[in-house]
Amino acid sequence: MRLIGYMFSQAFRSIWRNKLSSFLSALTTGFALFLLGTSFLVSINLGFMYQMAETQMEIQAYMNKEATYSELASAATQIREMPGVSEVKFVSKEDALEELREMFKDKASVLDSLEEDNPLPPSVRIKTVGAEEIPGVVEALKSIDVVDDVMYQEEVSKRLVQVGKAVQYLSLGGMLVVGLVSVMVIANSIRLAIDARRQEIGIMKLVGATDGFVLMPFLFEGIFLGFLGSALGTGFALGAYNWVAGKIAEFIPFMPIVGLDSRSIWDMFGIMALTGVMVGLTGSAFSVRRHLRV
Amino acid sequence: MISVRNVSKVYNGSVKALDSVSLHIEKGEFVFVVGASGAGKSTLIKMMYREETPSSGQVFVLGKDLSRIRRREVPYLRRRIGVVFQDFKLLEEKNAWENVSFALEVTGTPRREINRRVSQVLNLVGLLDRRDAFPSELSGGEQQRIAIARALVRNPDILLADEPSGNLDPKTSMEIFNLLERASLYGTTLVVATHAQDIVNKLRKRVVELRDGTLVRDERRGAYNY
Repeated sequence: MRLIGYMFSQAFRSIWRNKLSSFLSALTTGFALFLLGTSFLVSINLGFMYQMAETQMEIQAYMNKEATYSELASAATQIREMPGVSEVKFVSKEDALEELREMFKDKASVLDSLEEDNPLPPSVRIKTVGAEEIPGVVEALKSIDVVDDVMYQEEVSKRLVQVGKAVQYLSLGGMLVVGLVSVMVIANSIRLAIDARRQEIGIMKLVGATDGFVLMPFLFEGIFLGFLGSALGTGFALGAYNWVAGKIAEFIPFMPIVGLDSRSIWDMFGIMALTGVMVGLTGSAFSVRRHLRV
Repeated sequence: MISVRNVSKVYNGSVKALDSVSLHIEKGEFVFVVGASGAGKSTLIKMMYREETPSSGQVFVLGKDLSRIRRREVPYLRRRIGVVFQDFKLLEEKNAWENVSFALEVTGTPRREINRRVSQVLNLVGLLDRRDAFPSELSGGEQQRIAIARALVRNPDILLADEPSGNLDPKTSMEIFNLLERASLYGTTLVVATHAQDIVNKLRKRVVELRDGTLVRDERRGAYNY
């Protein structure tokens, strides 16, 4: 117990002695972990969107804007008679605009200019008996002349997953690069700490300190720098998330954004802290092996 | 206690620091190693606490063959050997007490035991009242006494000293050697490399002389010169 106290006090003293390089390495680690946190938050949101999409199994058939009313009516009848279709709802251009107006609520005035030349297409919303009926219905819809485009949840979900994967690969790739840099920066910070204590290390070895005893404080130092980095990274990620979520709520109010509860924040911090500690340990172990010749 | 058998040390493939040196030192002996600078005194001392390993030959210390000992055994060997240097090797940012207690802390000695032994050994070197002074506030002789206290605090079986009075005036040097002699009275084996001619002549201990890496003289109750 006394020994652990000694190790910690040595590590903290050393961090304090090399304030600037310690701070920089924690900051770099923080940046790497910020990217990890971002990917974590994005994947939470995509999961949420995916779930929402699943619960509303609905096909939307967008009709040609130029279609006449009778063309639309006959198409609607045709759809109603398709096998597997349970519910059909016709949405006119005007209805679509009205819905949009409702979503925007108080900011609806921005839509006033659309009134004269409504760009929204009329559409038909179709619910099927079960999910397995969807592909057949979609095929049948595509064969109708006035149907321009068919959107259904599976498609939306697929696209969400694609976007999510892209974002994740991007941030994970970035994280890998920055993570590597932070391992090196921490290694350098530890090298400075070792250099500052060369004489002391020499005397420690002279009076019979074991290799483990000599190198342990440096490993602690690396671990602590990594941990500090993870705290910074979590802070950055949460700050950025709240900012982005605020902007989204302002400009795209109908887009669902997951509000973070303390549990998911702790989950995220746990993952980041673990990664940070690993990064710190790797960096310091690298330096200790190289410069302490233990 | 210490047995050097046919040891040679070659640096950089050509510089011969030691050449077939053999030497046997019994428990409790006090041995001076003399010779000109570069004769190999320091190398011989370093072999004894495994700072150096021989290019050929063997060094036995406390029953262990130091060229075959495992790396992780070295710290435990060194806990039984005290070493004193010409430049003291004290830590400037630690005071006298801390410089000595450091040697016990790094091996995880309990606090109470540390307090007891450090005050004992500081008393032995006569610097208990200077315990809070930093090295920069101490004279050269006082600093060397602190270094000796650090070397003795673990009650080592062997005390090695490499030019312990090299930076000190004659009077202070004599004090240092008196202190070393006192340690030998407690049964510690001493090996001291030195240039201090007067002191070697006065104390009349065993003298081993090196010249160009070769052992040229080994004399009981010897003098610095023939």
